[in-house]
Amino acid sequence: MATGRQTGVLPDRATSLAILAALVCAAPVFAVTWIALTGETGDYLLHLARTRLPVYLIHSAYVAAVAAGGAALIGTGLGWLVARTDFPGRAVMSWVLILPLAVPAYVAAYAWFDLSQAGGPLQAATAGLFPTIRGSWGAGLMFALVLYPYVYLLARDAFTGQSADAYHAARTLGAGPFEAFRRTALPMARPALAAGLALVVMESLADYGTVSHLGAPTLSIGLIRAWSGAGSLVDAARLSLILVAIALIVFSLERAQRRRARTHAASGRHKPAPRFRLAGLQALLAALACLTPLMLGLVIPLGRLAWLALNELPATGLAAAAWHSLTLAAISALCAAVLGLGTAYALRSRGILAIASARAAGLGYAVPGAVAAVGVIAILSGLQSLIDPVWRALTGQVFPILLTGGAAALIFAYLSRFAAAAIGPSEAALSRVTPALDGAARTLGATRGETVRRVHWPLIAGGVTSAGLLVFVEVLKELPATMILRPFNYDTLAIIAHNYASDERLGEAALPSLLIPLVALLPMIFVARYLSRTRSSTGTG
Amino acid sequence: MTEQRTVLSVRQAERRYVKGQAALAGADLDLHAGRIAALLGPSGSGKSTLLRAIAGLERLDGGEIRLGGALWSGPKTHLAPEARRVGMVFQDYALFPHLTALANVAFGLKGAGARDRAMAQLEAAELGHKAGAYPHELSGGEQQRVALARALAPEPAIILLDEPFSGLDRRLRHELRERTVDTLRRAGATALIVTHDADEAMAVADELALMEGGSVIQTGTPEEVWMRPVSAVAARLLGDVETVEAKAQAGRADTPFGAVDAPGLDDGTPVHVLVRPQAIGLTLDESGAFTVTRRRSAGTHLVFDISDSTQRHWHAHTPSPSPIGEGDSVSVTLDPAYVTVVEA
Repeated sequence: MATGRQTGVLPDRATSLAILAALVCAAPVFAVTWIALTGETGDYLLHLARTRLPVYLIHSAYVAAVAAGGAALIGTGLGWLVARTDFPGRAVMSWVLILPLAVPAYVAAYAWFDLSQAGGPLQAATAGLFPTIRGSWGAGLMFALVLYPYVYLLARDAFTGQSADAYHAARTLGAGPFEAFRRTALPMARPALAAGLALVVMESLADYGTVSHLGAPTLSIGLIRAWSGAGSLVDAARLSLILVAIALIVFSLERAQRRRARTHAASGRHKPAPRFRLAGLQALLAALACLTPLMLGLVIPLGRLAWLALNELPATGLAAAAWHSLTLAAISALCAAVLGLGTAYALRSRGILAIASARAAGLGYAVPGAVAAVGVIAILSGLQSLIDPVWRALTGQVFPILLTGGAAALIFAYLSRFAAAAIGPSEAALSRVTPALDGAARTLGATRGETVRRVHWPLIAGGVTSAGLLVFVEVLKELPATMILRPFNYDTLAIIAHNYASDERLGEAALPSLLIPLVALLPMIFVARYLSRTRSSTGTG
Repeated sequence: MTEQRTVLSVRQAERRYVKGQAALAGADLDLHAGRIAALLGPSGSGKSTLLRAIAGLERLDGGEIRLGGALWSGPKTHLAPEARRVGMVFQDYALFPHLTALANVAFGLKGAGARDRAMAQLEAAELGHKAGAYPHELSGGEQQRVALARALAPEPAIILLDEPFSGLDRRLRHELRERTVDTLRRAGATALIVTHDADEAMAVADELALMEGGSVIQTGTPEEVWMRPVSAVAARLLGDVETVEAKAQAGRADTPFGAVDAPGLDDGTPVHVLVRPQAIGLTLDESGAFTVTRRRSAGTHLVFDISDSTQRHWHAHTPSPSPIGEGDSVSVTLDPAYVTVVEA
């Protein structure tokens, strides 16, 4: 209807927030692109192109493929089990299966490498048969274990929303249960699976901690080396551009899937299919299938780290690092929630500017943390060179160096990467607030402000809080951007963990490594329960 | 008819959408105290837009809407929806999903007795036992009744209903229609119901307004409007009608069934003779000019298709039973009560 504009609340302020979100998200990418295209061609990149670049590309592809394959297998299977079957514990599993997202992949990698290395407990127990988790396949495996929830979540909701009709039609046309699943349910869920897999691929391309610990030379490794080793902003920007290009390709493949899929989703999702009731051995197998990835991705790694931490004195500076991690994550979460909500409101007005802004902000998710950091540095150094001469002319002194722009620069980089993640949940929550609800509230005597307070907020609070908490968890886990941008001597839990782990001092790395998922677990439980509850309460509407 | 007190008046209401097409093009409408009006029109005729403009959910680009002496919408005035005393029942009911049935009904009420008044309203809708239920736990019919109770609770000056029965199955639709009219009558409400269903409009309305192309083309009691449509378009909105193009001649107009009265029209004026299928009476007649091509039963009456030598087809409704069958030759008489002559 053409009525959104009239009944929507705060469209103008919202649109300006959407534009701000777009600027925050897109500016670093543009800065990176600008630097990469206009900077001088140094020897380093040419040398790199001849030697290391093909290796980086091959290993990036390898890691991403293992991660995507593993996550697809685990996520699709569990999504189907939870959506289409019933077994004891299913309701709890439905949200518990999301929790491994609280574990950073590098934390899982520290634990699994320690468990499986030569002389470690697993090799000892299996007489050396258990392979050491390392290299590109090992890194891919770690990503699959902690990132499968992206696929699981979208697959679960896709399978739950599917009408029984297509499946039953296939059965009456002579397909057995598995064939009917393969030919109807699976293709109908394909866009959701593609969206989940795209997230898995992007996260594994963006990672630094895991691949550096397990020895998988991906593009991120090359990028950090170019910056911290060679110290070249231009070279780092050029490598960034390659990474962004790959991410954009993944992103657009996923988009293409979704566009084609709209026809699938539109046809009757009225009657959800009944769940197959599993009993006896089947139920036991289903429960085992759910418990296995939970054990591998969550319980075993955290258990190993807890054991290591108990046998070691806490590292120094841990309290300060924890405080930094918490405040950075909290402030970023708050800012991202505001930007996300503003963008969602702006989208509601269906203005062209709002839609364009939301699209631009959405690109942020395709920007790996290291790239966002390089972009922020490019922007800051650009600003520096603009301000410096003016400042010197006015005060006769050197302008304080912006590069160590401190926590603000870090938050800028975090937001440019994660603000996009906050738009989706807010938009989904706000989509429950139809224009007719606004109309009903207004004709019943509520003012605009009252309508927001009494109707909008109760309906969107869960979604907006979830959006903020998701960003909180992501920032807590973030490593490469923090490495590049952090002020001197400014540590976070992730930094301390990484520094000790790369010195092979895993005992000291254990506690900070453990603290990240432990802090992230509580917000993650809220998010997981919210994401598992909304569907059942709105499903009948 | 008793003296009618006009509660709400809409004058020359205009509303243009971005692409330039008009949703409202000079619509006029009066609502009278304690009476139920139905606004009937095909989709896209602007009836929902008019309803939303009265509620204050749409601004007018021209014209005005007044409640008694108070200007609600005008050239420079737009009273906010919450400041108008309107109750509205939305097409999808728009119940607040996070509130119980009782809290939904209480939403528009203020002060100490709000809860009790909401409960009384809910009990009047025979839904007292569902007070604690959330919207998704209610059936479609119950949701509609909660929506109506919610709209009535603040005792609005007028109550607006946008296609309130469209989401329901046929049997429930009939039952809820009766119940809704009953509820509105007991509340003494001044109501406007938007619908695209002619039978529904005639069943609920004291007054009928026909809408087409963004303006109200005819108003009156359902009987007046049905018996004396002002144009072929108006006639067609309320049901099957045959249109014969003719010219007035000496106060008469010719049809294939013989001439009919066309009083007060100058000679040569092009006219439309509007013939309801009920006007056509059939008699078995070997030398009749018409042949029955199809005969079927509509339960309460029979529907015949007849054609003349020019192969033009006509519908005729006659009381059941009838000896006439397919292939029979018949002669035709016209009942002037069901025939209207309008200027083309």
